[in-house]
Amino acid sequence: MYQYFYNLLGNEIAATLITAAVPLVNVLLVALIGVYLERKVSAHMQDRLGPMRTGWHGVFQTVADFIKMLQKEDAVSTEIDKKLYNIAPVLVFTGTFAAYAAIPFSSQLIGSEAEVGIFYVVAISSLVVAGILMAGWSSNNKYSLLGAMRSAAQIVSYEIPTAIVILSMVMLTGTLSLDKFSQMQTAYFWNWNIFGGAELGLVKFLLIPFMVVGFIIVFISTLAEVNRTPFDIPEAESELVAGYFTEYCGMKWAMFMLSEYGNMFAVSAIVTILFFGGYQSPVGYVGDLVGADWMIPLEQGFWFLAKGWFFIFVQMWLRWTLPRLRVDQLMSLCWKYLIPYAFVNLIIIGFISLI
Amino acid sequence: MDFYNIVFYLFALITVVSAAFVVTTKNVIHSAFFLLFTFFGVAGIYVLLGADFIAVVQIMVYVGGILILLLFGVMLTNKITDVEIRTGTIHLLPAAIGVGVFMGALIAVMVWTNWKSVPTEIPLTTTKTLGNLLITDYVLIFELLGILLLIALIGAASIARRDKE
Amino acid sequence: MKQYFKDTWDGIWTVLIGMKITFKHLFTPAVTIQYPDVKVKLPDRVRNRLYVNIDDCIGCDQCSRACPVSCIEIETVKGVPGEDLGTTSNGKKKALWVTKFNIDFAKCCYCQLCVFPCPTECIYMTDIYEFSEYDRNNFVYNFSALTKEEINQKKTNFEKFQAEKEAQKAAAAAKPKTDTPPAAPN
Repeated sequence: MYQYFYNLLGNEIAATLITAAVPLVNVLLVALIGVYLERKVSAHMQDRLGPMRTGWHGVFQTVADFIKMLQKEDAVSTEIDKKLYNIAPVLVFTGTFAAYAAIPFSSQLIGSEAEVGIFYVVAISSLVVAGILMAGWSSNNKYSLLGAMRSAAQIVSYEIPTAIVILSMVMLTGTLSLDKFSQMQTAYFWNWNIFGGAELGLVKFLLIPFMVVGFIIVFISTLAEVNRTPFDIPEAESELVAGYFTEYCGMKWAMFMLSEYGNMFAVSAIVTILFFGGYQSPVGYVGDLVGADWMIPLEQGFWFLAKGWFFIFVQMWLRWTLPRLRVDQLMSLCWKYLIPYAFVNLIIIGFISLI
Repeated sequence: MDFYNIVFYLFALITVVSAAFVVTTKNVIHSAFFLLFTFFGVAGIYVLLGADFIAVVQIMVYVGGILILLLFGVMLTNKITDVEIRTGTIHLLPAAIGVGVFMGALIAVMVWTNWKSVPTEIPLTTTKTLGNLLITDYVLIFELLGILLLIALIGAASIARRDKE
Repeated sequence: MKQYFKDTWDGIWTVLIGMKITFKHLFTPAVTIQYPDVKVKLPDRVRNRLYVNIDDCIGCDQCSRACPVSCIEIETVKGVPGEDLGTTSNGKKKALWVTKFNIDFAKCCYCQLCVFPCPTECIYMTDIYEFSEYDRNNFVYNFSALTKEEINQKKTNFEKFQAEKEAQKAAAAAKPKTDTPPAAPN
């Protein structure tokens, strides 16, 4: 993609900007469709209908909400720390969007082919924590501050099991690059890492149970990192109003929302790339069948988005299934269950990969 | 001016300006947040030097770990609603002398060192080489660091459990 | 240790059971009723907006007195003798002009207490429940069938009649005074 535009325009900056616009559009679409889907999924899981009146089955509900948000007055409390208050939403969104730089949407559409891909994604998400703390502190509101503290504590502790499972995957595949991760799990679903990777043999079958354990750990901990139910104590409506963005409204609030949905897609993408073949198709490519090479990247993009959306759906599904965890339960889940399991898993995968 | 030069000066500017703000600003929370931009700018400079792994570690350890810890510390110890802890200037003279000596030494080193300014090929990835070096040439330091961290971990756990008894 | 693994397994398994249940509900038909498009059939004896059949009203003021929130205002004017006020549907003869019969639905609490005392059953509950307004004054419903001119006419009629009666009374009262000569100062 970058190469194509570079050849077309002959300008590095223009080509980079165009390539960077694709994930941005994706984030916007994820927020736009995600909010609608969230409302619909939640409604139907509770035997309701959800928004029905703006367009067919309310499809324009988020568009209407967005227009409303644009028109809103930017009501700001007088006692806030103005500088930090204004920077915080931007910082949170920057942290979210920066992660997209390393995520391969298809074999031709990767922001950066940096060798440290997955490590970079894990690291850059810490900007979100800083942004959340900034938002919570500068709002000068006890609920905001409590929400920010809880959020930071939660994200920092759940980064550990995520990192350990990612480490075990890195150990197994021998690369940090997200693109290579995807390439190694070649087309057809039995080559995915959750089914033991592309190499046939005893190792493949030995790996499957530990891969499933790794997947469950990484899914739970990434769910906690994006602050979604059942781990939504930072923005628990019934306790903290809206957590760290209580004092925000209008477009600044929309930035937090955009970041939340962008994060949801980002962690879904990470899970997809680690365990479910990334952009690889589960059943082979139509482009291969009809001999049209140009179709393959498009198909890859389709499969990547489909997998990402599936995991977003699972996140919503969990949200409307489980109640919120208490703070102590949250911490004991992380430190007493996920981390020991992740460590044992790491050691076992290490031994298996030595075979 | 080359595009990469512009980017370098941008990151350098971010680093230096935010570092200056860290020192001069009166509000502790503000200086902690300015530190975020300093770390970030340094990470950007690492990237431009071709040290991608170091850059990511910089962000992960300093922004994701140390800065968050710092903010936690400041926010939990500070009176939350209004900032009371303020940085002030004391012992101006000894500080000035110390800083002057240190800066003089740095400049002297910079000037007198025979810098190799041969443009070399920036390696595409540094991870593999770094890993190899850590396990071969610098294995003793690596192990010592591991032991140090383990001691810190055990110490933290024992401090946390002492109150129970 | 055994308990630890059992807890872990229970945690995962119960979450899966919960997910199965919510997934089933994803496909059960919604119970939501699309209100303005689809309306629920109201039960019998539902209590909604009041209606007054003013033709049957005899202006007895019983409903107004029964109202716990005083939302019914009734003013009546007596009919003059010889005037035909008509009869109610159950054959009662009307004796009063109902010049004002206002119900303020902003105050009404839909208790139906006004319905029972009515001797002619002219005030009753309807099944209309959508009558929101932009102005609170529009909630005052006027059920009186008489126009302003008619009301004025009835009032003046009655006042005239009253005045005549007064005058007659006064005349009747004055007559003996004037007729009987002042007592002679005997």
